[in-house]
Amino acid sequence: MEWAWLIPVMSFVAAPLIVIAGPKLPGKGSFVAILAIAAGFVLFWVVFSEFLGASSGSPPECTLASDHGPLVCDYDVQWFQAGLDGSDDSVRLTWGTLIDPLTIAMLGLVTFVALMVQIYSLGYMKGDPRLGWYFAVHAMFAGSMLTLILADNFLLLYVAWELVGICSYLLIGFWHERPAAREAAKKAFIVTRIGDVGLLVGILLLWREVGTFSMSAAFQAATSGAMSEGVTTTAALLLLLGAMGKSAQFPFHVWLPDAMEGPTPVSALIHAATMVVAGVYLVARAFPIFQAYDGDALLVVAAVGLVTALLSAAIAIVSVDLKRILAYSTISHLGLMMLSLGAFGYTAAIFHLLAHGFAKALLFLGAGSVMHGTEEQDIRQMGGLVKVMPVTAIVFSIGALSLGGIPILAGFWSKDEILNAVSQNRNPVFIVLTLMVAFMSAFYMARAMFVVFFGQLRQGLDHAHESPMVMTLPMVFLAILAAGFGLISFNWPGVYIGFGGFVFFRESEPFHFNWLIGIISIVLALGGFWLASLFYLRERISTNSIQRRIPWLVDAIEKKFYFDEIYQWIVNRVVFVISRFIAVFDRAFVNDVAVNGPAYTVRRLGVTLRLHVTGHVYSYALAMVLGSVGLIIFWWVRSV
Amino acid sequence: MPLLYFQLVSAGLFAIGLYGVLARRSSVLIVMSIELMLNAVNINLIAAASHMEGLGKFNGFDGQIIAIFVITVAAAEVGLGLAIILRMYRQRGTVNVDEIDLMKW
Repeated sequence: MEWAWLIPVMSFVAAPLIVIAGPKLPGKGSFVAILAIAAGFVLFWVVFSEFLGASSGSPPECTLASDHGPLVCDYDVQWFQAGLDGSDDSVRLTWGTLIDPLTIAMLGLVTFVALMVQIYSLGYMKGDPRLGWYFAVHAMFAGSMLTLILADNFLLLYVAWELVGICSYLLIGFWHERPAAREAAKKAFIVTRIGDVGLLVGILLLWREVGTFSMSAAFQAATSGAMSEGVTTTAALLLLLGAMGKSAQFPFHVWLPDAMEGPTPVSALIHAATMVVAGVYLVARAFPIFQAYDGDALLVVAAVGLVTALLSAAIAIVSVDLKRILAYSTISHLGLMMLSLGAFGYTAAIFHLLAHGFAKALLFLGAGSVMHGTEEQDIRQMGGLVKVMPVTAIVFSIGALSLGGIPILAGFWSKDEILNAVSQNRNPVFIVLTLMVAFMSAFYMARAMFVVFFGQLRQGLDHAHESPMVMTLPMVFLAILAAGFGLISFNWPGVYIGFGGFVFFRESEPFHFNWLIGIISIVLALGGFWLASLFYLRERISTNSIQRRIPWLVDAIEKKFYFDEIYQWIVNRVVFVISRFIAVFDRAFVNDVAVNGPAYTVRRLGVTLRLHVTGHVYSYALAMVLGSVGLIIFWWVRSV
Repeated sequence: MPLLYFQLVSAGLFAIGLYGVLARRSSVLIVMSIELMLNAVNINLIAAASHMEGLGKFNGFDGQIIAIFVITVAAAEVGLGLAIILRMYRQRGTVNVDEIDLMKW
């Protein structure tokens, strides 16, 4: 476990290597990135097995977080120290890795999905003139994301947080010849930055209170009551702001759909499985802070998650762009994870994070495969692709069924856990709305699946072809996980304590299946698929009739609830007006008065005062005499 | 003779010199006026020296020695001053200080 830091470092080394040596290497150095992340994946298993074998005190870095808490292994190295040794106000900055069940779970997800996506990219990005740069940024992203997961202090986490942001920016704008890609990249970067400011302030607030960036110290302070309720809640909400930006939660969700301008594997890795869950990860990681003082902050988390999940699920139903359907579905599921965290469903959130990560990465790769085969992105132009792209169709369907919540597949178990947590710990209103989200989730997944792959093969799609092996194989691996991952949640008495027992940090939490909730969720999921099949497969109901019946609602949803318009208005009417005022202030006051003012004064003074320099000897002599006389009088008066 | 008389003569001489420095245009006359002021100082010094003999730490020679120094320095100064005036005349064709205003802004 002490070598866990190598996992991100290998990818970090790969990135500049590809940039420098890539052009001379075969495949523009793409295999360097893949080797680095593959080695990371292998090392993950080593770390995992060592972690399972570790216990409190052996190795000495490992301790129990609390009486019933999980094992936490913290390896840190001093980075630098400011102030004197042992002095109260000295600041000691460390960086290191923290390994606990949450880290292990995330490590597995990120290394595996990154590996799959990078292999897939070999096929998808084949022939791109900037292939080397693509893989370099991919490697840098993998390194940053793994650092984010492994970080044992908030400062390192923040650094990694910004690094994944810049990698996301670079990859969204990868095809920067297209104006839309440039705009989307800027939008993603700026919108997430707004949240990042909150995160930074939150981290600084914690630092002010605790005196160190260390996470464990902050959690200790929050749970032991050393931090007051107001500060703890404020810090939690500020961290939540950062999480909302990164995880595209309402009202910061607008950047994620636009981020689909990037290459599809990028969407699969960054905007579905890994980077966007960083926000969920942050809330989960800082859960002791959120949970302290009866978890007041968690109510906000739940509300944000629920609103996000509802709004984006609605938009996903009417979206016609395959990638955007998946993007809105991602936002919706991120909202569900947040909601779950907000309902004290820690295990459920992490479980859903993993299950969703595999399934959504698979769906994006499937969408990429479809776009690769048909060069089409609009689902209205697709149909019946199962006949020409059977493998893609099958794995995509597995992903869709899993996310839709069809039993036995991973998404069913994780969604059920979330429903459980919400029904236990939150107001009945929450569970009703969450069930609605579950239904809509099944419906839009079914819609995407039916419209794209089933029914009549569309005219003009005869040329479509199945993707090469290098693309289908990663999808198959992901499909296996998306289908079977749910089974690890069970408790096998005497053998395995179940995912809940492994990851939950308070106490061993066995998997529990609530039959009422379970049956309702099964009925809703199947109902969603059945209804979608009526609409899109058998065409018993026409979408036009719905549109005629409630035009205002459909219109509002199709316009994405006018968020982009509202933000555009705010930017034009508020931000630009304020910035114009600030610009005038800067020009008139800062520049003209504060900077040019002193210079101008000195210049004017010089022009005026130089007139006394007549150049005539007698005027100087006269001044000298007068000065002498003045001095003599002064001394004389003083002596009297 | 009381010291005051010498001091009055000295002060008068100094005032005449000062007036000459301030009021004359010709630099030669200014140098001569400076000489007047120096000699006024010399008179003052020697008179004070002869009157203060035996008073405290004064031994009657201090003033005379300083006066001789002043004369020496004044001689050097006149040599230098006249050389400058000569150069000035060669360069600008005048010794009138009104027209020498190179140091003006």
